[in-house]
Amino acid sequence: MNCEFTVNGKIIAAEVSSTLLLADFLRDSAKLTGTHIGCDTSQCGCCVVHVDGRSMKSCATFAWQVNGANIVTIEGLADGEELHPMQAAFRKCHALQCGYCTPGMIMTAVDMVNRLGQVSEPEVIREQLEGNICRCTGYHNIVRAIQVGAAAMHGVEITAPEHETGKGQPA
Amino acid sequence: MTPFVAHRPGTLEQAVSLLSENEDAKLLAGGHSLIPVMKQGLATPSALVDLDLIAELKGISLTPKGVRIAAMTRHAQVAASDMVSGAIPALAALAGRIGDPHVRHRGTLGGSVATNDPNADYPAAVLALDAIVETTARTIAAQDYFCGMYTTALEPDEIIVGIEFPRPDWACYEKACHPASGFAMVGVFVARFGGEVRVSITGAGVDGVFRHAGLETALVAEFSPESIDDVEIDADDMASDFHASQAYRANLVKVLTRRCVARCLSETPRD
Amino acid sequence: MGAGKVARIGESVLRKEDHRLVTGHGAYTADHNLPGQAHAKIVRAATAHARIASIDVDAALELPGVLAVLTGADLIADGLQPLLHDHNLLGDLASQREAPDVYVENIDGTPSRIPPHHLLAIDRVRYVGEPVAIVIAETVETARQAVDLVYVEYDDLPCVVRALDALEDDAPQLWDMAPGNISIRAQLGDPDRTEAAFASAAHVVRLETVVQRISGVPMEPRAALGDYDPETGKHTVYACCSGVIRHKRELTQIFQVKPEQARMIAKDVGGSFGTRNAFYSEFGLVTWAAKRLGRPVKWVGDRSECFLSDYQGRDLSVSAELALDADGRFLALRGVNTSNIGAYAVSHWPMRKGAGLMTNVYAVPTAHFIAQAVFTNTVPTAPVRSAGRPEAMFVIERLVDLAADQLGIDRIELRRRNLIAPADMPYANPLGLTYDNGEYESCMDWALRLSEWDGFPARKAEAASRGRLRGIGLANYVEITTGPPIERADITVGEDGIIEVAIGTVASGQGHETSFGQLISDWLNVPLDAIRHVAGDTDRVVEGGGSVSGRSMRFAGVVIGKAVEGLVVKCRTVVGAMFAVPAEEIEFSDGKFFAAGSDQRFTIFDVAREMRVRNDLPVALRGPLQESYREHFRTGGYPYGTQVCEVEINPEDGEITLVRVAAVDDVGRAVNPMIVDGQTHGGAAMGYGQALMEQIYYDPDSGQPLTGSFMDYAMPHAHDMPFFDTAISEVPSPTNPLGIRAGGEGGTTPALAVAVNAIVDALSHYGIKHLEMPVTASKVWDAIQQAKQPAHVGASA
Repeated sequence: MNCEFTVNGKIIAAEVSSTLLLADFLRDSAKLTGTHIGCDTSQCGCCVVHVDGRSMKSCATFAWQVNGANIVTIEGLADGEELHPMQAAFRKCHALQCGYCTPGMIMTAVDMVNRLGQVSEPEVIREQLEGNICRCTGYHNIVRAIQVGAAAMHGVEITAPEHETGKGQPA
Repeated sequence: MTPFVAHRPGTLEQAVSLLSENEDAKLLAGGHSLIPVMKQGLATPSALVDLDLIAELKGISLTPKGVRIAAMTRHAQVAASDMVSGAIPALAALAGRIGDPHVRHRGTLGGSVATNDPNADYPAAVLALDAIVETTARTIAAQDYFCGMYTTALEPDEIIVGIEFPRPDWACYEKACHPASGFAMVGVFVARFGGEVRVSITGAGVDGVFRHAGLETALVAEFSPESIDDVEIDADDMASDFHASQAYRANLVKVLTRRCVARCLSETPRD
Repeated sequence: MGAGKVARIGESVLRKEDHRLVTGHGAYTADHNLPGQAHAKIVRAATAHARIASIDVDAALELPGVLAVLTGADLIADGLQPLLHDHNLLGDLASQREAPDVYVENIDGTPSRIPPHHLLAIDRVRYVGEPVAIVIAETVETARQAVDLVYVEYDDLPCVVRALDALEDDAPQLWDMAPGNISIRAQLGDPDRTEAAFASAAHVVRLETVVQRISGVPMEPRAALGDYDPETGKHTVYACCSGVIRHKRELTQIFQVKPEQARMIAKDVGGSFGTRNAFYSEFGLVTWAAKRLGRPVKWVGDRSECFLSDYQGRDLSVSAELALDADGRFLALRGVNTSNIGAYAVSHWPMRKGAGLMTNVYAVPTAHFIAQAVFTNTVPTAPVRSAGRPEAMFVIERLVDLAADQLGIDRIELRRRNLIAPADMPYANPLGLTYDNGEYESCMDWALRLSEWDGFPARKAEAASRGRLRGIGLANYVEITTGPPIERADITVGEDGIIEVAIGTVASGQGHETSFGQLISDWLNVPLDAIRHVAGDTDRVVEGGGSVSGRSMRFAGVVIGKAVEGLVVKCRTVVGAMFAVPAEEIEFSDGKFFAAGSDQRFTIFDVAREMRVRNDLPVALRGPLQESYREHFRTGGYPYGTQVCEVEINPEDGEITLVRVAAVDDVGRAVNPMIVDGQTHGGAAMGYGQALMEQIYYDPDSGQPLTGSFMDYAMPHAHDMPFFDTAISEVPSPTNPLGIRAGGEGGTTPALAVAVNAIVDALSHYGIKHLEMPVTASKVWDAIQQAKQPAHVGASA
């Protein structure tokens, strides 16, 4: 099927088979391997991208279903060398370790803020992460990063608790 | 995945004739139920009829009886709709808790109700609110619609166009989520229409969504959490897996019903 | 990014690797492609135990686009050898006995039973998911379809999935060479002395438990891309592994080739947690297929495939007893630990490490444990996050809480009475391990303060007013971190301002690029950005042991440290030669080398340039500025700590909410505290995941795995976890100059015990004494209902 997508601002025309998933189109045809596949039951969120301004699991969508859509992947968030505030927040807050869930997590976080504004309640953030699994971080720093990133997306700087730990010798 | 032909009809008529022509064709709505199943090779349709481009399948409107939601309305749209929140807040709340945010951006009312997954949320609302399922061929009352898990009254070439939900005096949905799948392990929808109380249960039963006469009778007699204490929920009718025993699910049915009732009593009753 | 900034040891430096990872430019195995590559899928056994009667590949071969279907018969015909696995990499007997880990051997003196493990099943399958054939096709889709067209005829055999069932006389036998399904049956400690202690003990507390099987589930599914160069006979494999040197060794063994004919590459790895330590069949299959087909072959696993084939974790059945005197002093500990290692002996490490640590941080005069590893028709088990230690800590810490309850002594007081005192270090425990040092009581006290233990009664009362049962639990732990004992660093200083460090570890989220860089940055006073981390490619890295068992930072600290020392000596010698003074008279300060009295300052890069351009230097001082250091480590690291958690239980539905977690971990020295904390958070989450929701479940009759996807295998989500209150204790270990113990697994090690201790505390009102993991809401509710029955006398699940 003949399709045309706008991916990270670039128009891509492609002939896609009916069975081609959006995730595979992005990774294999568009060569954007930042979107990851972490499961086969559409539960882990590693494959989340934005389609027409809303988050979507690209592993549960055929490419032709989003023909004509405006797609943004993790590679499209940064402005050249300048990181998107949410990307910067993830780094600042050590919200990634192996990095595999990270693209989907960041895309989810940006969508969360787009919908909910300057989200800050941990319970709300945690609930909004229902569709994303991380095995490395225990989510602590991810929640912090989203608080910081949400504020930054609204031009507000929250002091990132870089690491909330006591150190040294037992008293 | 087995190859298939993808059709993107622009009208309902085209969609219906595509279904009639091909026994092996399946409808594609949000895709978040069907596509994972196709990936596992458990569904192998030779054709998919995508409903996304059909204008008649979009939109929410108020009706004299309540609210009508077109079949391809996304869960997120239902959750965010002022019309739905105004008429049936429990329905908007239910939609806002289906799956996760990404699922809610794609999943549709029609897709969910047509699939009738035994752990889905919408069927509980449809049954408890006595909704009317409007198809390309007819209207089907809720009580005639659900026929067992993954089974409905729909004919092979029949497409859900919209669902009209009557506006109750009050309603509430409570669910306990399965720790792995996130679906409703047990979900209870309680609705009051005047003196009538309807209680529908999803997730718990082995045969899909059902109403519980015992709970309804007790709540009609007295609408209070304690009134259901002596109602028996037959554990043998409950599903079980190593996450939750039958007895546990039966208990959850009562716990969630009580929570709904308690919520109602603590909120201002509607006129 | 802080370009030009020097990073210090002990600083929470932001990670260098993050920029590429947050922008989607990570290079995970499935992101790699080679020109002309074909795609592979694996045919896996659908039955738990059977003889392979025949394999019909004709229909598969007829599918257009299918290039080959290879089976076990082809593998044998091509002379491929079995996998080495851990057992064959232990070294000779002398080094095994010398190694810091406890030594285990069969009680009857016979060798361990280690069946040959080929890349594909040869004549028999022994677990659902065992690879039986590999299909290679032009596209992934075609390969998938072809898998369904390979017809394997099985003659089913009876199967057994539980370790204790496999020990029964009438149990199906998996291996002729392993009678009774026993791979090893060892013992540690002193049976007679322990028996005597029990005979005279005032109190004996018992526990029978199964620490259930889990899967590590790193988020990156396993994948491999294999290539073969017919001219050089070189096998190359890109795969997500936790070490490349060991995997290269396995390659040379499988294909019987010389070292230069094997190359293993792992760039970005999406989590390991121990699951990547072993060499998996597919890694060998893809390069074998590439050799036969003359094209690269790529295999990417599905998540459901990973649930069937990632080596799984834990699955330890324990029967244990603690003997105490009238004052609550521990007299002895004994028991039987039965490890379900699945169908093959991939590793005995979890069983071995756990058995040596059963007495934990307590001064126990004598102990005796039988530690056995048993074959069953399940996926093989191997190390997963803190292999063996969470199991051990679970047993001892549950026994201590049970003892406190039985004797009527406060749980903390009972622990305090029995902790090993600093004055008694180094401490030889009764099972064969010697802990170097540690301040266990101070650590526990710190955790009590951090968790506001004393304020718990008020919190409990407040929760009760909301209808919630609140409980608090604590567990101490000590670990042993060892891993393959050889590590090596090669450091090259370029004139271009880049220092390259090549090392044999492979990160999968631990942040080595940053933390190892911090070492060099601090010691040489060069910017962090000037350091290039080279790892994960055997064409670049000569020797090393990978990132397993918490070894990486402890060993890197030493070998990088020594290599840096060597570089400094070299630079001093060079500058000394330039100024005609002895090397000892050259100062090194603030990152600069200089001769006393001279204005000239030389950075290490300046020295590198001088060494290249100057003809007047002695020959030995000319050429590239580089230094290597290799070490064979003979001591273990002993991280320790204390964790506390609080739960709230809703008695209506048994729902458990984890409301607080406090962890104090002594890592000896934290090079990057932010990274250490991150490891603690993630480690704790994994532990609580096991305690509350995770389980790999096999149907005992059919041997079919029932937890084959995230639909059935529950994983902790963000809403399941609280924020973690962490503290890092730094009592230096005496085993290395930096004092590092290890920091990657301390979050997990006590968490299983802490969780169940807290849950039992919450339910103490009902007289519930113990619950088996995973402690689900359903289990809690069922236990409460049972407890409410009349004539109920305590309960244990």
